[in-house]
Amino acid sequence: MEGIPYTTEARPDTGLTNPKLGIWLFLASEVMLFGSLFSSYALLRTGAPSWPKQWEVLNVPLAALNTVVLIASSVTMVLAWVSLKNKNVQRYRLFMGLTLAGGAVFLIVKAIEYSEKFSHGLYPSTSNFLGLYFTLTGLHALHVVAGMIVNAYFIGPGVRMWSTDPERFTNRIEVAGIYWHFVDVVWIFLFPVLYLL
Amino acid sequence: MTHDTALKVKGYLAVFAALLALTMVTVGFSYLHLPPKVAVPIGIAIALAKASLVVMFFMHLKGERPMVMWPLALTVFLFVGLFVSILLSEADHLFGARFVDAFH
Repeated sequence: MEGIPYTTEARPDTGLTNPKLGIWLFLASEVMLFGSLFSSYALLRTGAPSWPKQWEVLNVPLAALNTVVLIASSVTMVLAWVSLKNKNVQRYRLFMGLTLAGGAVFLIVKAIEYSEKFSHGLYPSTSNFLGLYFTLTGLHALHVVAGMIVNAYFIGPGVRMWSTDPERFTNRIEVAGIYWHFVDVVWIFLFPVLYLL
Repeated sequence: MTHDTALKVKGYLAVFAALLALTMVTVGFSYLHLPPKVAVPIGIAIALAKASLVVMFFMHLKGERPMVMWPLALTVFLFVGLFVSILLSEADHLFGARFVDAFH
């Protein structure tokens, strides 16, 4: 079987490997997906006669903690890729494991936040603000879950490629990382927009 | 570890430190409860700075090929267009514009 061409060497016309171009085009579509929701937020908020003080409704310290957790998991993700560049697969496993743990902690904290809201009778149907909050953070959490599934594959069965085609595997981790960092970037905007401002 | 990758790791850790510092700054500002007209531009500017650090260094956009840059530039253009067109529908009280007067 031929397989996908240009996974390790750059395609002459694009100057890129196919996976690299693919992930960036996918992320461009993701920007517009989140963009539609962010602009809905802007319209509903600027058009509202009054808007709750978001920091009084939501838990700022927990969200700040989650910001730090997600940023840290981005750092461990990029260090996992550096480890492969150094041909140190043991260290790769360590950093990838930490990245997965970061995603898990983020989701646990998010679940605590959600249950706190539900226990106070605050649901997506309660107000425009809470509707937007649950939609945006819910979609973002789904992206965290998706990234964790990919990362779990690459620390589990997917790591076998390291012994057959290490260069291609290293590129896979870079591309998975680009997605994971994007999830981090979305949160970097969600945190001030939904909690602080 | 080669010299080159040791430098890389140091760079990534410096970005990490900058991201943590900017997070503290933005949370700190939020406790001042400044009026939205001041707080929103500051909050968005800090978020843009943080996002740029992640995109440039962690996602390796710095020095990336034009074939990545052009689709992203188009995306930014469409994203901003989406935002501007939506906010213009609230321009009367956001920016004090009076489009209605034109029809009188």
